[in-house]
Amino acid sequence: MRRLPVLLLLLCLAAPAFAQRAVTEDTPLRPVTRAFALTNARVVQAPGQVLENATVVVRDGLIEAVGAGVTVPFDAEVIPADSLTVYAGFIDALGYAGVAKSEAERPDIENPDEPPREVAGLTPDQDVRALLKADDARIKQLRELGFTAAHVAPRDGFLAGTTGTILLAGDTPEALVFRGDMALLAQFDTAPGAYPATPMAIIARVRELMRQAADQHDAEALYAELPRGRGRIAYDPVMRALAPAARGDQLIVFVVDNSNEAFRALKLARDTRTEVYLAGLPDPSPLADRLAAEDRPLFLSLDLPEPVEDDADSTATGPAQAATRTFSYEGLDAERATLQAKRRDAMARAERSAALLDSLGVDFAFALMDMKPGDVQDNLRRLIAAGLPEDAALAALTTGAADLLNLDATMGTVEAGKMANLVVTDGSYFDEETTIQMVFVDGHKFELATEEPPEGADPDAVVDAAGTWDYTADVSGQSTSGTFTLDGNADALSGSITTDQFGTISFDSVTLDGNVLTMVFSAQGMGRITGSGLIEGDTFTGSLDVAAADFSIPIEATRRPE
Amino acid sequence: MRLFLSLLLSFCCPPLIAQPLLPPPDARGDVLIRDATVLTVTNGTLEGTDVLVRNGTIEAIGADLNAPRGVPVIEAAGKFLMPGIIDAHSHLGISSVNEWTAPVTAEVDVGDVVNPLDLGIYRALAGGVTVSHAMHGSANVIGGQNETLKHRWGTFDPEALKMEGAPPTIKFALGENPIRVHGRGRDIRPLSRMGVEQVFRGAFSEAERYAEARAAYLASIEEGQPLTLVPFDDRLEALAGVLAGDILIHTHSYRADEILMLMDVLADFGVERITFQHVNEGFKVAPELAEFGAGASIFSDWYAYKFEVDYSTAYNAAVLTRNGVCTSINSDSRELIRHLYHEAAKAQRYGGLTDDEALALITINPAWQLGIDDRVGSIEVGKDADLALFDGHPLSIYAIPEVTIVDGVVRFDRNADPDDMRLRVDPAVAVDEVTLHATSHHLHFTSNGIEMHTHGCMQGVEQGFNRLLRR
Repeated sequence: MRRLPVLLLLLCLAAPAFAQRAVTEDTPLRPVTRAFALTNARVVQAPGQVLENATVVVRDGLIEAVGAGVTVPFDAEVIPADSLTVYAGFIDALGYAGVAKSEAERPDIENPDEPPREVAGLTPDQDVRALLKADDARIKQLRELGFTAAHVAPRDGFLAGTTGTILLAGDTPEALVFRGDMALLAQFDTAPGAYPATPMAIIARVRELMRQAADQHDAEALYAELPRGRGRIAYDPVMRALAPAARGDQLIVFVVDNSNEAFRALKLARDTRTEVYLAGLPDPSPLADRLAAEDRPLFLSLDLPEPVEDDADSTATGPAQAATRTFSYEGLDAERATLQAKRRDAMARAERSAALLDSLGVDFAFALMDMKPGDVQDNLRRLIAAGLPEDAALAALTTGAADLLNLDATMGTVEAGKMANLVVTDGSYFDEETTIQMVFVDGHKFELATEEPPEGADPDAVVDAAGTWDYTADVSGQSTSGTFTLDGNADALSGSITTDQFGTISFDSVTLDGNVLTMVFSAQGMGRITGSGLIEGDTFTGSLDVAAADFSIPIEATRRPE
Repeated sequence: MRLFLSLLLSFCCPPLIAQPLLPPPDARGDVLIRDATVLTVTNGTLEGTDVLVRNGTIEAIGADLNAPRGVPVIEAAGKFLMPGIIDAHSHLGISSVNEWTAPVTAEVDVGDVVNPLDLGIYRALAGGVTVSHAMHGSANVIGGQNETLKHRWGTFDPEALKMEGAPPTIKFALGENPIRVHGRGRDIRPLSRMGVEQVFRGAFSEAERYAEARAAYLASIEEGQPLTLVPFDDRLEALAGVLAGDILIHTHSYRADEILMLMDVLADFGVERITFQHVNEGFKVAPELAEFGAGASIFSDWYAYKFEVDYSTAYNAAVLTRNGVCTSINSDSRELIRHLYHEAAKAQRYGGLTDDEALALITINPAWQLGIDDRVGSIEVGKDADLALFDGHPLSIYAIPEVTIVDGVVRFDRNADPDDMRLRVDPAVAVDEVTLHATSHHLHFTSNGIEMHTHGCMQGVEQGFNRLLRR
């Protein structure tokens, strides 16, 4: 926290530079045409429904025509897509893209039993449309993964507010909005220091509120009809906001983190006779039968547990022979291997859970929640490797999500008349080698810039990157310095960087391609930072790119002599 | 087709570690326990006796019973069979204990936050305990509602642990705890033991007025002439349930004066059924407790851990029992719950209770206090087959629990008891280096994958409380 002011200062110093660049380089020009024709493409209209050598015509935000014999309109920008695949844009079934984090200071609480309702987390009248931020970096991050729409929710509170669907492109918050007032978001978000301070009290409160809201709705109707001789019903925005859900007319999306929370939410749904979809839950397998029996859909979290590797020693012992009892220190290796194998089993069970839901016929769509965008494609591949058919995975990203969110009239398939939300790839989306070429959101084309190699890059050069490097970075005229250290050979590099602001941070990845070194790391409050540049002898010249802020810091380094 | 796929999946990806196969939570078992010394508790001790269990219920008790085809037999010659032990005061198997934010929180219910994955449940089974009373904490004068759990270890479904048909109960608290949290913590009532009494009287009076107004409102709707809306209030509904006798009271209490105070308050409001918990000074007011018909659920010999329990005695169980008070011994602890039979035995050392009187302290008496004595707490035909088999007399310090049975299903077997019985493994928690450390008398193996928390009445309070004080 102490470091934040320094960071803010640096960002402030850098700000004038962006502003200038924005005027000179980024002034948007009105597009010449809003008609496009993707020709000769492989079109996955819906899971299992593929057209080869087909043309997709997009005009003014809609898909105008799809098929093999479609005529290319004269005014369309023709995009030869001979080796490309076109999918319907993906839908994040529940997440927080574009939703601002609350910056409100927590007020002092005088009476913990009756805190202000914002503190308690009782804000069902809050509309996610009022919380949108068009410049949230996550919008672009998800779009570049092929997502074109997202069902988003307010973040805070046990009855947080109403959800909506946004398009993942737009210059203003209003432009993002596709639909609002979709569902009421509930979660076990306690109010530390005030009622409800426990999940137990949240359940009691929700049960009471639903009853009160239904009662009040009836009483208001009665009062409207026959006010004479009867006390006035005081206006209460909470009761008004809850009435549709309490009467079963509005869906409640209940975000749960684990099986205990999931079972509790289902019990609460039964007690209050409300319609509840669960969301979250990286491993729903303990509830899979229950969800199937109740025909209850799930917004399944794609945020799988990190992969777990076997203990190095366990292969020697063999987990199958692991003792169920440890009697002495001599058995500790076997015990450790067993515990590690159990961890791995638990991880593997989470990976199999999507396949299990699919086999049981549970309707589900993928919720990205707060997960790292970088994990989305990896995790989809893990689910598929664990038995989820690719078509089922695609359905959970497209048709399934559209159906569950009642968006199927406009989204989910590549069909004439639907909104032009498309993903264009150079192969199967689930293949590791595939790259996304472009994304259409509401008929707007976004090309994914392929990184140009820096000047002087030589893929055939042989250089050594290992060692300790002293760097200086120039942040808008302010010079800052530190070190980074790299170990290993060109095929397997790792290391860390030490900065004044953040201390020592390990690199998430380090790659050396010829003489181009790329180091990726994350710093608190800054998100992902990519350092890349050229190594020549013992000098390194390049830049640090901060993805979230879209700015670049020049960096130079020299290697310390051994 | 779906079934086929699902089968295929389970074959393709078998778990790498064989997990013990646990019976489903709603299983009701058949078993014949042969030739045991049967401690019925309510009907004396029967030597060389068989107990036949069918579909989770005790069907026959007698000599030379035949095992119907397919019914498994446990040979128990030389062993002792007692009713499953019942703990009338525990905080096992729940995720929240104290909603400490108000002096009265009658609407909250620990039954809403049952945690079937709490390993403490299995450890309690290993001590012969088949039923525990999971209680709200003692931070509030009127805390939340409790839940009576059957230890059907092996399920992820919280509902499956609830003892169906057990009457609802609620936690009250007298003395230092609510005074500390609310009086000293927030400078509101109760600041003293006098204030505690007024919180009860105030809350009960409010509930009476509410219940009357709400009933009139509901009746007016029925009659088609609706009155002005009287909003539903869950807190007051619960209190009205207490006053109506539908929700049994279990109150945290220590001192004789406050025990008498609460009995006076209840008499004024016409409430007849209460069990005093801890009740360290119960021995001073045993005749009054007996006259009121109150129960007492005590520690065997635990005291002097705070000012208000300075004046206590290990003879409490014997004094209360001999005065005709229905008395039980509870654990209030994840550790103590594993050897409640030792705690009962202390009542013989201090006070000389008979075997049946001592065993009743952890079986039929807590069953009565929880309102489930028609179902459990003794070995009788027609009762639930909740049973504990020991290799010696359970009141002997040398006795070891061998098999624990809930609803006729073996839920603990000392011969099939792996080290790691966790139901849920968190893949995100790394396996720590296993540490081997020695204290004066014991060697401990501890591994971080296995939770070891302490529970208690004031759980969950300190953190929130301190946060409040800072503010």
